[in-house]
Amino acid sequence: MLKLIENFVRSIVNETVDKAVSRMVKDQYIENIFEMIPVANKVGVTNLMELAMRANMGMPVPRPLGSPLHFSPWQQILFNPVHLFRFPTPENVAIQTAVTIGPNARKPLTISIPIMIAGMSFGGALSKNSKLALAKAATAVGTATNSGEAGLMEEEREEAQLFIGQYNRGGWMNTPDKYKRLDAIEIQLGQGAQGSAPQRTTSKNIGEDYREVYGLQEGEDAMIHSRLSGVNRKEEFIQLVRKLKDETGVPVGLKIAATHHLEQELQIAIEAEVDFVTLDGAEGGTHGGAPTLQDDVGLPTMFAITRATEFFTRKRVIREISLIATGGLVTPGQMLKAIALGADAVYIGTAAVMALASEQMVKTLPFEAPTSLLVYTGKATDQLNVEEAAKNLVRYLNACVREMELVAITLGKTALSDVSKSDLCTLDPFLAKATGIELGYVASDRQERFFADTEALFPRTVEPKQLRYVPEQPESAQPQVH
Amino acid sequence: MENTQDIRDLKNTLSYLHSELNRLETMAGTLSTVERQHYYKLTNFDQRDLMDIAVEEQNAARQLGTMKTMCLAMAEKIEAMKNALDGGNMQESAPRAETH
Repeated sequence: MLKLIENFVRSIVNETVDKAVSRMVKDQYIENIFEMIPVANKVGVTNLMELAMRANMGMPVPRPLGSPLHFSPWQQILFNPVHLFRFPTPENVAIQTAVTIGPNARKPLTISIPIMIAGMSFGGALSKNSKLALAKAATAVGTATNSGEAGLMEEEREEAQLFIGQYNRGGWMNTPDKYKRLDAIEIQLGQGAQGSAPQRTTSKNIGEDYREVYGLQEGEDAMIHSRLSGVNRKEEFIQLVRKLKDETGVPVGLKIAATHHLEQELQIAIEAEVDFVTLDGAEGGTHGGAPTLQDDVGLPTMFAITRATEFFTRKRVIREISLIATGGLVTPGQMLKAIALGADAVYIGTAAVMALASEQMVKTLPFEAPTSLLVYTGKATDQLNVEEAAKNLVRYLNACVREMELVAITLGKTALSDVSKSDLCTLDPFLAKATGIELGYVASDRQERFFADTEALFPRTVEPKQLRYVPEQPESAQPQVH
Repeated sequence: MENTQDIRDLKNTLSYLHSELNRLETMAGTLSTVERQHYYKLTNFDQRDLMDIAVEEQNAARQLGTMKTMCLAMAEKIEAMKNALDGGNMQESAPRAETH
């Protein structure tokens, strides 16, 4: 019987495929379904669908989780293991993983691992269950979680042993009764996936619990403005930082979207004497943002880190101001490379929520996206088992840190914070020139000679545009060599 | 005279806190090592619940390592306060109140 059904199915498939192929061969190209293949290749599948969505909605389409483009060429950097020249760390030596954020603050924030949970707001982005699972997991591993641009959710504050709150452009965390209950304050002026653009959550997507946390009236939209209220001049920002530091004693930092104006922005942060700076690279995620803001605005995380580290070193504040990197960091290797390049710690967002959903994805697949378990407006948020989700994230974080520890061992280091640029080599001459990482093609003592011998390829006096590194793109672009 | 006595008491208290922090730092280090050994032993068993306990032990080991770091930082701070007192320079010490 089974054989009969199998033969029947085979003959139907055979007939259908034959007809489809014949039709594609014989039909005029302009009327041919095969036309979709070159069109999709030309436009890109994502672009094609988003084009159709724009045509349908007439509004920017709120793409979740950030840009699919990989701007930072992390794969072009490798760690340098040691064997005899320097010995690897014996396996019975514990690798130190703790980091102190804002060492000069009256109440510095010490976390047990250099990975924190990024700002993802309750309501604006995630469901209450997701936020609680993130807080539980963060507490279990001894790290901090972040409020995102939201008000103070009591349950989250209770679950999180270390809680960083965003003093935000919506104004929902900006009163002393709220910010005095935080373990660190992050003044949020922008994010990688949105720049400093405004955002609005319409009242139809705002439930009672959301209104309670944000202090909104029924029917009122939640609005994130492009500027922080009361900060229209740099002096006002400086005053705000000093006021928050005086009133709370906890580390007070600045979060911005990484930008080519980085040094000018950081100069003001230095003048304000912030305790930490969070740089969110162009790869940063979001609950839903305009694709153009995600794909075409900002600076890649890697270059934000290297430039900020160089600037802080030059300004002699590298020990005073902690640097937190975020935006598209998914693998432990990428996270440790960010630390090696100068970040004191990293935030993870997308990776953390994917870890929450991991084993519970089956509850929504194949008919709904796993994010419907996690986002505030998701259809399946009540199906998320908070305890299990938190356990999955704890396991993920442990695995990530363990992998980072293994790399530290092979580098002969005893602390993750000791991993530095000298533990890296790069396969890209432009990266070597721009970041100071040695080029893996030639020996350490031949670096200068290599660049001198190939000076024609890497001229000293060129137009800035020509020096710009063009990261590897999936479609066509290649690094320019002039 | 009373002021001198107060300063002497304060110095004694700081010395006490300093030595206790050093003790706590040593204990945290020892316990961290023990927790880490438990992690390695528990990962020998291919059993989900035991793996979860192993992960908890690993996290505990790291957090004890953090406590060690925090104790060291606080001990340094107290040492600075003691030195400032000895130099009659208490006013100039940094105003850090506590660590998390």
